[in-house]
Amino acid sequence: MDGRGFGMTRRALLGGAAAGAVLWTIVPRRCVAGAGRASPSETLAAGLIGCGGQGGEDLNSYIRAYGGEYRLVAACDVDKTRLAAVRKNPKKFGEDVEKCELYTDWRRLIERKDIDVVSIATPPSWHALMCIGAAQAGKDILCEKPMTRFIAEGRAVVQAVKRYGRVFQIGTAGRFGAYASEHSRRTHKIMASGLLKKCEAVYIKRGGFPVRNYCGRVNLEPQKVPEHLDWDMYCGPSPLRPYNSHRFGWSHRYYWDYEGGSLADFAQHYMDPFQWTYAKDYTSPVEIEAYAPPAHHDACGLWAWVELRYADGLTLVLDGNEWGPRYDRKKERGVTLDDLDEESRRKLAAMPDPPKLLNFVEAVKTRGESAGHVEAAHRAVTIAHLANIAIRTGRKIRYDPDKEQIIGDEAANRLVYQPMREPWHL
Amino acid sequence: MATAQDVKAIVEQIPSPDKNGTYVNLDEAKIGQIEKTVAQLQQGGRDAVAALIGMLVEPGAGDDIKPRWALHLLAVRAAAPGNDAARKEYALAVAAHLGGDRPKEVQKYLIEKLQIAGGPEVLEALGRALLDDELCDTAARALAAIGGEADRQLLAAWPRVKGRSRLSVIKKLAVLRCAAAAEIFRSALNDADADVRIAGAWGIARIGDAAGTEALLKCADAHEGWERINETDACMMLAEALAAAGNRQAAAKIYEHISRTRNEQWETPIRQAAERGLAAVRQQ
Repeated sequence: MDGRGFGMTRRALLGGAAAGAVLWTIVPRRCVAGAGRASPSETLAAGLIGCGGQGGEDLNSYIRAYGGEYRLVAACDVDKTRLAAVRKNPKKFGEDVEKCELYTDWRRLIERKDIDVVSIATPPSWHALMCIGAAQAGKDILCEKPMTRFIAEGRAVVQAVKRYGRVFQIGTAGRFGAYASEHSRRTHKIMASGLLKKCEAVYIKRGGFPVRNYCGRVNLEPQKVPEHLDWDMYCGPSPLRPYNSHRFGWSHRYYWDYEGGSLADFAQHYMDPFQWTYAKDYTSPVEIEAYAPPAHHDACGLWAWVELRYADGLTLVLDGNEWGPRYDRKKERGVTLDDLDEESRRKLAAMPDPPKLLNFVEAVKTRGESAGHVEAAHRAVTIAHLANIAIRTGRKIRYDPDKEQIIGDEAANRLVYQPMREPWHL
Repeated sequence: MATAQDVKAIVEQIPSPDKNGTYVNLDEAKIGQIEKTVAQLQQGGRDAVAALIGMLVEPGAGDDIKPRWALHLLAVRAAAPGNDAARKEYALAVAAHLGGDRPKEVQKYLIEKLQIAGGPEVLEALGRALLDDELCDTAARALAAIGGEADRQLLAAWPRVKGRSRLSVIKKLAVLRCAAAAEIFRSALNDADADVRIAGAWGIARIGDAAGTEALLKCADAHEGWERINETDACMMLAEALAAAGNRQAAAKIYEHISRTRNEQWETPIRQAAERGLAAVRQQ
């Protein structure tokens, strides 16, 4: 996706080193790649699943922009029109893209033996299964955000990626910007040190969620499925609804079956740097409360704000700033050295600074962990899912971040794990 | 007792969507109206639920936006913690309308409401829905979400379902880690349908069925492509489950087999994963 429709480009959402990546796309690569540029033998064989607007963007943003190289050997889409367009786009994918094999069933792409990295840019209802399949087949993964449609999918992806030792990078790079900031690095160091016993910080993400534009329609009439589209495969693990063009393409984001509205589509961008800064890559909020109208069963709707509290006291607020009252329960407040006693400050000074974050190319070469690694990505999108569960149930919920279960609310838990349509399973 | 006409009048109080069919037009007053309407419907109990269901039509056959949403809001409220009697009343009221000649798309919607608010009291009704090819998958998902003794319904349905419904049932037996389905999973490894074989492999892994090890390894070895990838992963999952249960010897046997037989270059990560697993169980 490129952010069209709400006056914001996708790249505008990416900070720090990702902003540098923008430069890489407008300066000829030979001028900047230098000695770091990939030799032909280091060229990654890539497979692309999902050839719509964002299809292939991650290959360029996370491989070429960092001096790596790839060759697109296979592409897949359930829409034959979009699929055919891939071969006609050498500007985006490289001059030999016309040799790329085309598939309408992503499993045929996954089972190819010659692919190093799979880039996934389908609707999020497919992301988990494709990530898991790619990991099982020994491929590294670039996954467009949001990583998943519900929380249990994320844990299954984490397990598969770790089982097979794969490199995973989510399609957002905000934490590079956080890492570049001295202030954020200091906050990260304090939070990661364990020296802060109680965190009184309040982080408010105000605005940046196109709440109104992302409301789905409740009056969708069945339409004839276009001949170029495999609608059953598009729905995949989600319920098979009668086709309507509003469920397809950009607007799939407005329906619970495929994504989860503005929260699901944008929170991963905003939560990626937040999580790194506050050292929350391995945990999740414990209490979640939302201010929103009663939710619709199918179409995503309005919301005003969501307050999420962590076990250490840190408060995170997502304020849509487009509808309803502004959040005014707490004032924004950061973490400073003044929050530590003198002895703790001495201990902190003796601790090493946060390690450098690896980009995807470096991670693939060294078999290290890419900055937007799988657990961080899972925990970041969990924030959006928890917020949406609070909105959909209309209740304050309590969450166990270790068991990844909602406490004492069975109906809410049924949104944490949602059984899939056959033949799919996590 | 609320009559159908009363309920129709009440549900009409829910605000209409805007001209685009969205609810971006909601404000505090309209939200208050929704809350008031839902509260009135809640007071109407089973009769109100029945009346709402009577207003539902299959997609494309008319406007049922308001009763559809109202039935959903009742499900969400009924399922709130702390009032199991209300939840049960709602679920039974909905389940009573499954079957018969009601449009299948409407019945699917009712089953989805049971996936939200249903409990043990609706398992039998959902079990009956498993036998309807058009409802089977939706019912199987609801049963998997409800859990508890839902696996009994799936087990009972297994010999009676055909075609794609077999896949719906066996997958959800695996989701529920139904140990009593061990023989079903093992037999599935020899099924003519590759998806059923994969489901059987996954089921064996999910229940940690040591007795299924030989058959699972043989099955995974025998296939290529997507099926081999999935069944090999099931072997790895089974090894993890056996190791976690303390059966290190059985786990080691699987890891040794995978590391010995996944020799193609593309299988290197799989072989390495097996080698890591083997090292871990030997260190335990």
